[in-house]
Amino acid sequence: MKPEDLLRHPLPNQTPKLTLNCPLLDRLLRGGIPCGTITEIAAESGVGKTQFSLQLLLAAQLPAARGGLSASSLCLHSEFPFPFRRLHQLSLFYQSHIPNNPLDHIFIQPLHSPDHLLDLLSRLDYIVSQLNIRLIVIDSVAALFRSEFDNTPLELKRRSSLFFNISSKLKYQAQKFGLAVVVTNQVVDVIESSGNLRIGNSGFLCSSGRRVCPALGLSWANCVNIRLFLWRVEERVEEEGGNIGDMKARRFIRVIFAPHLPDCSCEFIIKREGVFGVNR
Amino acid sequence: MEVSSLPISASQRGKLISSGYTSLSSLSSVSPSRLAQDLKISENEALEILKVASRRSGLDITDIGACAIVNGAQTAWDILHEEESSVRITTSCSDLDDILGGGINCKEVTEVGGVPGIGKTQLGIQLAINVQIPADYGGLEGKAVYIDTEGSFMVERAFQIAEACIEDMQEYNSFLRKDFQACQNRKDPKDFLDNIFYFRICSYTEQIAVINYLEKFVSEHKDVKAVVIDSITFHFRQDFEDMALRTRLLGGMALKLMKLAKTFNLAVILLNQVTTKYSEGSFQLTLALGDSWSHACTNRVILYWNGNERYAHIDKSPSMRAASAPYAVTGRGIRNCASNSKRVKMM
Repeated sequence: MKPEDLLRHPLPNQTPKLTLNCPLLDRLLRGGIPCGTITEIAAESGVGKTQFSLQLLLAAQLPAARGGLSASSLCLHSEFPFPFRRLHQLSLFYQSHIPNNPLDHIFIQPLHSPDHLLDLLSRLDYIVSQLNIRLIVIDSVAALFRSEFDNTPLELKRRSSLFFNISSKLKYQAQKFGLAVVVTNQVVDVIESSGNLRIGNSGFLCSSGRRVCPALGLSWANCVNIRLFLWRVEERVEEEGGNIGDMKARRFIRVIFAPHLPDCSCEFIIKREGVFGVNR
Repeated sequence: MEVSSLPISASQRGKLISSGYTSLSSLSSVSPSRLAQDLKISENEALEILKVASRRSGLDITDIGACAIVNGAQTAWDILHEEESSVRITTSCSDLDDILGGGINCKEVTEVGGVPGIGKTQLGIQLAINVQIPADYGGLEGKAVYIDTEGSFMVERAFQIAEACIEDMQEYNSFLRKDFQACQNRKDPKDFLDNIFYFRICSYTEQIAVINYLEKFVSEHKDVKAVVIDSITFHFRQDFEDMALRTRLLGGMALKLMKLAKTFNLAVILLNQVTTKYSEGSFQLTLALGDSWSHACTNRVILYWNGNERYAHIDKSPSMRAASAPYAVTGRGIRNCASNSKRVKMM
């Protein structure tokens, strides 16, 4: 391979995108999840990270006319158990647009450690081309890293070196095969006294009334191209007659940083049919 | 401005174009002997071409021959003169331009660092577009090389910024040059994208290979006036057991880039990430790649958040004093901060 082979000239007109199968969410992301880069979805548990992942796994199989990639998808999951029943439930809504059974084209692989992930990534070349995979979802990357490392400078250094290694391998595959890569991340609470480092559009992320920030710190933030944040606000629904009703959760999605998107946000709801944006 | 508009003979024109000198800006930095060598013509003939070209681009460098007699030697006075007349690449944010002394300087390596989401890539894309502003509008009319190591370059974003740049040029036109007809040739955003040479890099070996290859590439495309590397850091933050080797590789790369900037009179912009450094019991933010790397660049600009505003700080510069200025990332690209109610100045 010669250096000039890396030259892409002229530039393509558009980056291919993977739809979220909802016009409002697609509008927020200007068409969907871009191929060739890493998109991170960060949220506390129970806001909808996994729901987004499952929806994308199915949407990848949609034909290009519907914004999909008409290809298979690979899901690497480190949070157990994998929600097979929910996936099956969602797949029923996709059957009419996809010729075969959608579940036949989702490949699922459990992950147990960061080294396991690295090992898998280096063997991905063959799998991706054989199975026509265009989407890789890692749910979640934080679960892999949160137990294994001590809080000493040396261990943290080893950890961040692993981050860069994993990210670089993912980006290589994404670039080579035009894959969309989505990783989910957990959040950690922000303790007031600790140095407050602002990353991205908002210095102040709140979920369920607590101050949070995406896990894995600054070095991982350097490893992803796009970061989306989901959060939840508990609201008391006022019922007719002034009675105080039940608590109701409202969910939102926001672009924290992305090379092609402005700072914007949108409310979404989780229904039986999947995740949908709400216009308010 | 194209070389084809010069009043020179057709054979000279042919020779110029076939050896890569396609625009006037590519002729601005070359010496007569070098040109003679590249075109295989006599030195007098080369000098003639350069005179015609410099007259056309509005600079009257009559003593160009005098410099070339003593090969390589230049008086400090000449260098000062050259520096004052050299065109800088605007950032499209006049506050930022002010503290930079008018923009990003050619012949120098400028490093820009900041946290994720602060706008490093935005600045990179903006400069790749702005280097192409025609000479009529005070630009360099060059081309750009964009080396993407992170995969953050988005074509649609570059397209948006190019569109905004064209709108600004038209606005400038209608304000100041109502009767001037030469500016009518309207540029298309597609032309801007065509003039960005995009390299996608997936490992540090590729990165080193491309930087070694750049010299050859630029000598074939002499109108390249900006090289943006987004980011220099990414592939050097993994798998390096031997830190001394990393330092050597980075040092070698920095030297190559500096030489490239000098010989071809182009601006090199390196984007860098930030990291936390453990010192005296606390973690502090610094630019990545360590202390030895901080010597590698001529200029260093750090981008940071100040409340809800983005700021740029000149951390290191041989000619400008340390200063900070706010800037904003808008839909149209890098612009002045909105709260700073001065009108956005283009040039």
